Amino acid sequence: MNGSDLAPETRTHLIRGCERIVGPEGVISAPDELRVYECDALTFYHRVMPDLVVLPTSTQHVADVVRLCREAGVPFLPRGAGTGLSGGATPDAGGVMIVLTRMNRILDIDVASRTATVEAGFINLWLTNAVKRHGLFYAPDPASQQACSIGGNVAENAGGPHCLKYGVTTNHVLGATVVLPDGEVLQLGGKIQDRPGYDLLGVFVGSEGTLGICTEVTVRLMPQPEAVKTLLAVFRTIEEASNAVSGIIARGIIPVAMEMLDREIIKAVEANVKAGYPLDAGAVLLIELDGPRAEIEAEAVGVEATCREYGCLELRVARTEEERALLWKGRKEAAGSVGRITHHYYLQDAVVPRSKLPTVLREIEEIGGRHGLIIANVFHAGDGNVHPLICFDLATPGDLDRAIAAGAEIMKRCIEAGGSVSGEHGIGHEKRDYLPLMYGPADLAAMQRVRAVFDPAGLCNPGKIFPADGPAGQGARNLQSPAMTAVSER
Amino acid sequence: MPVAASLADGLREIVGADGVFTGPALAEYRLGPATPQAAVFPRDESEVSRLLRLAWEEGLGVVPWGSGGHQSLGYPPSRYDLALNLGRLDRVLEYEPADMTATAQAGIRLADLQRHLEAGRQFLPLDPPLASQATLGGILGGNLSGPLRCRYGTARDLVLGIRVAQADGTITKGGAKVVKNVTGYDITKLYLGSHGTLGVILEATFRVYPRPPAEQEWWLSTPELEAANALAVRILGSHLAPSRVEMLDDAAARACGSPVRGPGLFVSIAGVPEAIRAQANDLARMAGEFGGVATEDAAAPQTRTGLSDFPWLAPWRDGKGHGAIWRGSVLPADCARAIRAIHAAAREHTEVVVAASVAHGILRGEIRADTTEGVARGLAASREALAALGGFLIVLDAPEPVRAQVDVWGPPPDGLGLMQRLKAAFDARGILNPGRFVGQI
Ligand SMILES: Cc1cc2nc3c(=O)[nH]c(=O)nc-3n(C[C@H](O)[C@H](O)[C@@H](O)COP(=O)(O)OP(=O)(O)OC[C@H]3O[C@@H](n4cnc5c(N)ncnc54)[C@H](O)[C@@H]3O)c2cc1C
Ligand SMILES: Cc1cc2nc3c(=O)[nH]c(=O)nc-3n(C[C@H](O)[C@H](O)[C@H](O)COP(=O)(O)OP(=O)(O)OC[C@H]3O[C@@H](n4cnc5c(N)ncnc54)[C@H](O)[C@@H]3O)c2cc1C
Repeated sequence: MNGSDLAPETRTHLIRGCERIVGPEGVISAPDELRVYECDALTFYHRVMPDLVVLPTSTQHVADVVRLCREAGVPFLPRGAGTGLSGGATPDAGGVMIVLTRMNRILDIDVASRTATVEAGFINLWLTNAVKRHGLFYAPDPASQQACSIGGNVAENAGGPHCLKYGVTTNHVLGATVVLPDGEVLQLGGKIQDRPGYDLLGVFVGSEGTLGICTEVTVRLMPQPEAVKTLLAVFRTIEEASNAVSGIIARGIIPVAMEMLDREIIKAVEANVKAGYPLDAGAVLLIELDGPRAEIEAEAVGVEATCREYGCLELRVARTEEERALLWKGRKEAAGSVGRITHHYYLQDAVVPRSKLPTVLREIEEIGGRHGLIIANVFHAGDGNVHPLICFDLATPGDLDRAIAAGAEIMKRCIEAGGSVSGEHGIGHEKRDYLPLMYGPADLAAMQRVRAVFDPAGLCNPGKIFPADGPAGQGARNLQSPAMTAVSER
Repeated sequence: MPVAASLADGLREIVGADGVFTGPALAEYRLGPATPQAAVFPRDESEVSRLLRLAWEEGLGVVPWGSGGHQSLGYPPSRYDLALNLGRLDRVLEYEPADMTATAQAGIRLADLQRHLEAGRQFLPLDPPLASQATLGGILGGNLSGPLRCRYGTARDLVLGIRVAQADGTITKGGAKVVKNVTGYDITKLYLGSHGTLGVILEATFRVYPRPPAEQEWWLSTPELEAANALAVRILGSHLAPSRVEMLDDAAARACGSPVRGPGLFVSIAGVPEAIRAQANDLARMAGEFGGVATEDAAAPQTRTGLSDFPWLAPWRDGKGHGAIWRGSVLPADCARAIRAIHAAAREHTEVVVAASVAHGILRGEIRADTTEGVARGLAASREALAALGGFLIVLDAPEPVRAQVDVWGPPPDGLGLMQRLKAAFDARGILNPGRFVGQI
């Protein structure tokens, strides 16, 4: 679908203008080529084609394109690798899409200060690969790290399995070069820390492309730990496994990662890649410890004792790097394996207090049962960040509606338990009507004020984050509407 | 200026007769040349809200007040009618050790909060200067940190959610009470370090951490500053997991109780005893690589507090003599160069003491001279020295005559235009700490 009502002459004017700025090879305007950009990783949902796509190669290009759009009064939005899961990089209704993938150079690696500066289109995993030889790594590791861009990570404040100990993107970004929605280029933060002034960088991170476009990012690098220990704990039920999660945290142990896979996911993974997870288990818990060797040896004793206390059936410890890779393999391939158990799924991303995990997971199972749907779970258990995958089949009449209803119930329960709507995937288009579950009108109005300060014309990625009804936030009543058909295809 | 009877009545109506100070009692709320009309002590957030509503309608200048220990900083307020003392909002509201999160009101003193968390053998890993008196609101308002930042980060990394009274009295929240959240803008970050100019912090939810089972600390003396800096960079880039890596010049090392002469590092490592022992060996070996010697610190608890408080306990701060304290930043690898440049710049008329948190390139120091002009010249020269390294310097505290000669915040930051527009959007009538922060926001 092309949701735009752009006049043909305006479109032609923009195409010409963009070609002058980035060269003809950097502009895509043929409908069949634009189709690639009609959605992000939420492939089944809200497809809207941009009027044109521009692929700049410098900050100046981005600034010039933004100014061109602004003068023409045409909306624009940034896009990285398009792996987002909330429809953030899908146009609301046409406009100009600015794709950063050609801006993918390393600009600076400062080993002594442990920082790196890269262009926004640089791929997450490349960063860790690039600094490995200096004994360093970049901590935030979204499961999509082979594809997603650092700019997209900044925009979504991305997390990942290893964020339990190290924190999410915002804890690792020191600076960004940003093209503001009026075309001004501004340096936020930088290698030199704590400059006085408001923390504009802090509010930019996680703003989902609505406050401007970042073109360069400076991140903090971490020294590689002395030792890593990876364990796989097998449990009879998901409840026992989540009790173990709470138990480990309550002991004061912060593993670097604590990921859970339930029976359905184990089934899918084993059918796909044979990671060696036991098929009769209710859940497996993948636990990784890192740090000084003696420290993690002591922690491993605590982890083992806790797992046994909560009825763990089997505990595997990786003795070699190969064994470690095998234990992780199932987790890494989980998203790609879901096709083995369902045609379609609707993925959520709520967070609950970790002590509430056992209760909430039980309720999620009940909700699935009540709607006659299978709900599979693979998630960042240590953070309380649940990722229920509600399985359904579009070909089965009523299945989609049931999935949507179940999703809304799950979300409400998570919020009631003191949780949040999204832990890492962002609100984008898909979850915007859930915001009023968490924030009142005054809370949303404060956020809207920030938005209006950065983007008074409202042209930068409009239609995202905030409920469709605006700051007054009556959006909750839209929860049952088709706008919530957030569906991922395998 | 005598307080208008009608204003005092209006305030008493909100907070009760014992919640309003006027007259001579206001001496301790003086800021530079200005004394407020009243100091008010709300008992709960609805009273804060009503007080702000009143101030908003009357256009009164409001200074949020924690313990007031360090209100000396920033420019004097351009309008100052009310000191809004949050000391009665001092409760811990939620604490769930198993979630490693807690929620507390802004007026609680850090020391009291830590005592509360002790029940779960946990703590909030912030060690700003004068932690025994500083309030949560003041610490968050200034985004203050200390040497422990090396391991745990700052309030920016620890605060998960916040409740704030806006300038017009509306109460809003940002963030959440869970450890991971990307719902809506991360508006919490705006209030941290905004020095009370965008809203009054009422409460905050933050991560807490388990108290490590053991901790040990060392002085690593090195032949000269450059070696200390290189050793620090080596330690920070290694597999060691220190809690603090402070670099001190000779004078600072002496002031903080180093048993050996000369510049060096103070390093602390926390964890299980076996891990500390293993890291101690590596530490000694690394020190050796740079010609340094490791000595275990016998007086560790005092040293840790001394380092956090440095240089806030500078002797001239009780009114005798001329001096100033400051904070600045450079790249971690440039700390020694920065300290040398400051020593050189200040050589003429002043005495300087400097310490650096090398992991983040944060420097803090004290400067003393025989005259006000000497202090001002020393500050200006130090600022120039740091600027030459790409860094900056802000003055944390100095007597009035020195402030008259130096701009405490220094040149306006990049993005001041956006910041001014944010201030206008959040406080259109300019009543919260007006004129005190950068660019006289
Ligand atoms: C402008 C300023 C900058 C400072 N910068 C530094 C620094 O960079 N490094 C450092 O180590 N120390 C700094 N300090 C010192 C620091 O304030 C003290 O270390 C600490 O004791 C503050 O806690 P307090 O309770 O005494 O707060 P106070 O001294 O009473 O207040 C500190 C500041 O925070 C504001 N404030 C207090 N409570 C609230 C609240 N609930 N909501 C919103 N704002 C509030 C005040 O209006 C004031 O601007 C600074 C102080 C000020 C005033
Ligand atoms: C299999 C799979 C696993 C995933 N696992 C995780 C995970 O573990 N943790 C996690 O957090 N996420 C995960 N994600 C989600 C996604 O990968 C992240 O949100 C990622 O940060 C998106 O990056 P991107 O480059 O693909 O951005 P896009 O999808 O292109 O864009 C995402 C948003 O960022 C904005 N944006 C993009 N670039 C810029 C820029 N330069 N400046 C300003 N705004 C910009 C866009 O407008 C859009 O709103 C996963 C996705 C998939 C498909």
